Amino acid sequence: MTAYVVRRVLWGVALLLIVSFLTFAIFYLFPSADPTALRAGRSATPQLIAQIRHQLGLDKPFYDQYWIYVKGIVLHFDLGFSYQNDEAVRTQILSRLPATISLAAGAFAVWIAVGIPTGVISAIRPRTPLDRLSMGGALVAISAPVYWLGLVALFLFAKGTGKLQWFGGAGSYVPLTDDPGQWLSSLVLPWFVLAAAFAAFYARMTRANMIETMSEDYIRTARAKGLPERRVILRHALRGALTPILTIAGLDIGLLLGGAVLTETVFNIPGVGRFAYDSIINSDLPSIQGTVLFGAFFIILANLVVDVLYAVLDPRIRY
Amino acid sequence: MRPALAAGIAALALAAAGCGGSGSLKSGSSGSAQKGGTITVLSAGDVDQIDPGQMYYSFSYEIGYATQRPLFAYKPDSVDTVPDLAVAKPVVSKDGKTFTVKLRRGVRFSPPVNRPVTSADVKYAIERGFASSVANGYVTTYFDDLVGAPKQATSGVPGIPGIQTPDKHTIVFKLKRPSGVFQGALGMLITAPVPPEYARQFDSKTTSDYGTHQVATGPYMIQNSSAGKLTGYQPGRRILLVRNPNWNPSTSWRPAFADQIVFREGFQDPTVLTRVILNGDADANGDTTPPPAELRSITGKPSEKDQLTFTLEGGARYISLNTAKPPFDNKFVRMAVAYALDRNALRLTRGGPIDGRIATHFIDPSFSDKGFVQAGGSGFDPFATPDHSGDLRKAREMLQKAGFANGKYSGPGLTQVADNTPPGSDTARVVASNLARIGMRVRTISVTHATMFTRFCNVPKQEPNICPNVGWIADFHEPQALLDATFNGKNIVPVNNSNWPQLNDPRINALMARAETIVDPQQRFAAWARIDQLVTKTAVAIPWLWETFPTLFSSNVTKVPELWNLGAPDVTFMEATG
Repeated sequence: MTAYVVRRVLWGVALLLIVSFLTFAIFYLFPSADPTALRAGRSATPQLIAQIRHQLGLDKPFYDQYWIYVKGIVLHFDLGFSYQNDEAVRTQILSRLPATISLAAGAFAVWIAVGIPTGVISAIRPRTPLDRLSMGGALVAISAPVYWLGLVALFLFAKGTGKLQWFGGAGSYVPLTDDPGQWLSSLVLPWFVLAAAFAAFYARMTRANMIETMSEDYIRTARAKGLPERRVILRHALRGALTPILTIAGLDIGLLLGGAVLTETVFNIPGVGRFAYDSIINSDLPSIQGTVLFGAFFIILANLVVDVLYAVLDPRIRY
Repeated sequence: MRPALAAGIAALALAAAGCGGSGSLKSGSSGSAQKGGTITVLSAGDVDQIDPGQMYYSFSYEIGYATQRPLFAYKPDSVDTVPDLAVAKPVVSKDGKTFTVKLRRGVRFSPPVNRPVTSADVKYAIERGFASSVANGYVTTYFDDLVGAPKQATSGVPGIPGIQTPDKHTIVFKLKRPSGVFQGALGMLITAPVPPEYARQFDSKTTSDYGTHQVATGPYMIQNSSAGKLTGYQPGRRILLVRNPNWNPSTSWRPAFADQIVFREGFQDPTVLTRVILNGDADANGDTTPPPAELRSITGKPSEKDQLTFTLEGGARYISLNTAKPPFDNKFVRMAVAYALDRNALRLTRGGPIDGRIATHFIDPSFSDKGFVQAGGSGFDPFATPDHSGDLRKAREMLQKAGFANGKYSGPGLTQVADNTPPGSDTARVVASNLARIGMRVRTISVTHATMFTRFCNVPKQEPNICPNVGWIADFHEPQALLDATFNGKNIVPVNNSNWPQLNDPRINALMARAETIVDPQQRFAAWARIDQLVTKTAVAIPWLWETFPTLFSSNVTKVPELWNLGAPDVTFMEATG
């Protein structure tokens, strides 16, 4: 097991290097805004442009720039300096992480709490009106774009913009430590909006897995032993059906910790996702690279954790 | 203000409303003035720069003018500057080459500097703009006539002999030649004092971080720590202005009603932003305006329409044609485009008549008798077509003159680089379809707004045939600030070029060189009006919209009809009433 974890960590580092290289290459090779021109301002002389390019190290060859960037990350965990905000990218990402964690964790709890029970109920009552209603609803939730759903939620239920002013609206987020009540109120709508598609997807997946698991021999054996149906479903069938869901859940939570760009933007939550969005709008290359790398880090980490948990959940798996 | 009108800005025609709406504008001496409270302004993005020596765009000026005192500044209901840190208008020598400005006494820096402002602080503020660590983007445009001004950015803060400080409250600017725009430039934030003994430690770095350690002279300051580090600036999230304890109201015409002002950033959806303000949860819009649909809704409701104010029609949006390569090096081909374009359809891409009048030349109506009237006002339109909807017959005549016998363009395909989001992308689509009617096949490269400028339209070597999403608003009300950077051949630069058509007409260049030095205002305005007409007739760029900008106020504050700065409200005049 230890050897496996070490191997995966090394692969993770290699993957991060590849991601950083690709991000760097994309912005270097393809048309994107010139940070020097943005920094120099209107009517800047060619000399000023050259001087700023030199200051920012952008006059160096591509491989030199990349080497300096990677060295900074490896030796100092330095993700670079934002041209736009005159602040270290690392500082900005870390200061925004609590908001992103608040959003991702809450949405995760919502989609697990809604998606899995819905899938289980649909699986044990297949082709009933309840099943069709649940799966129909899931289809709608999967199809609804987050941006649209967010605006609908804001115009229906948010203070400041909604018909029913129940919950905090856009820009109402405050840190948990500042005002727990306001924190909760500001996150209710984003949690549900972000969780909607996930919950629907998880419900459909749980249903499919459960139906398959329920036809397994060990379920028939459990029933033959006289176990109550409730115990058969929850302790035997659901546990078996959850293994593949755990894989997806790990990836999803990793993805969201890297920033839920659309949800954070619609609800104006100052998290990593909105930072990524602002950085793209402002062509702030170091910040874009920082957020991409950060997101990749969480996905790789989540993958690793999930693979290790696999062995814990499923006794058949050994590394 | 400023190049490249921001995408997504909508506006309302003003003509019938009377310039600026009907909001109340209270001065500091108003008997009903109500001090206290918090004003909240919503914006989509952040300031372009936080350092007053670098600030340029309108949202930054909204904050800069509340916290800093340049020599001259604008009251909200005027497009002309009045003395702010200065006591009176500058005394200009007969030869137009020396400007003497007296400074107010009793103005002090905010903590941690705390000392009185002197003329040396103004001198340093301008000089640091030339340093590469600050790299102000406009000093080389407006201050390069100063005697001894560096031709390029310097590694440290340079001493400029043309800025003299004979005493603590007098500053003298010596120019190499008379300048018509210098006085206007003294209203820009680069003239706001900076204490050298405090700022040098930040300015000496590769990139100055004085911005995040700045001190204030205005009624407000960005909240900071006792050491001077800004704590009220969270990029992309919030800017918090609190009262400057060292501000002396008797030295200023700003009423500064509110106790604090919060700029909440990140409101990317203009409809949400509009609704939040209408609901009273915030007080005004900052860098983003209500979208056209919301504007139409608001103006249709008696209960809400009084919450809107509008700027004068300022600046022009235009379609730029690259004259540096075929086919637009041919005047008749350009004129064919001018006739073929449906300017009504172009205006509809930004909201229609609600957005402003169709532009027919470059000096806009907000200049009034400072060049607009002299240029023929709305009556001057060398490419007039019925209802501004295009005239294909005339377009074909022009193409025949250009050598296309059947009146249809048959040359190589053309390229335009445009915004990848509406309304800019819609404008580009209209251009492509309009030009297809005269045989021009236009390929559109869609990129982000910043990429469009910094990689294509602002870089002559990379410039496409057409840049459909460009425009210009003057930094201040001098026609030179509108026409010089955009059409003077001497201003074509390899990067960040604003002369998008790359117009380099010796006759126009010579007229501009002469107009720049005319000291008499009336003669100067007339000279630039003539230049405006000549440039328009070359058809190197086709103006299609004189745009107005709305500001929405909540019912909890007094309206401040801001006529300049794209309508970004002057928070020092806003009074919390709710």
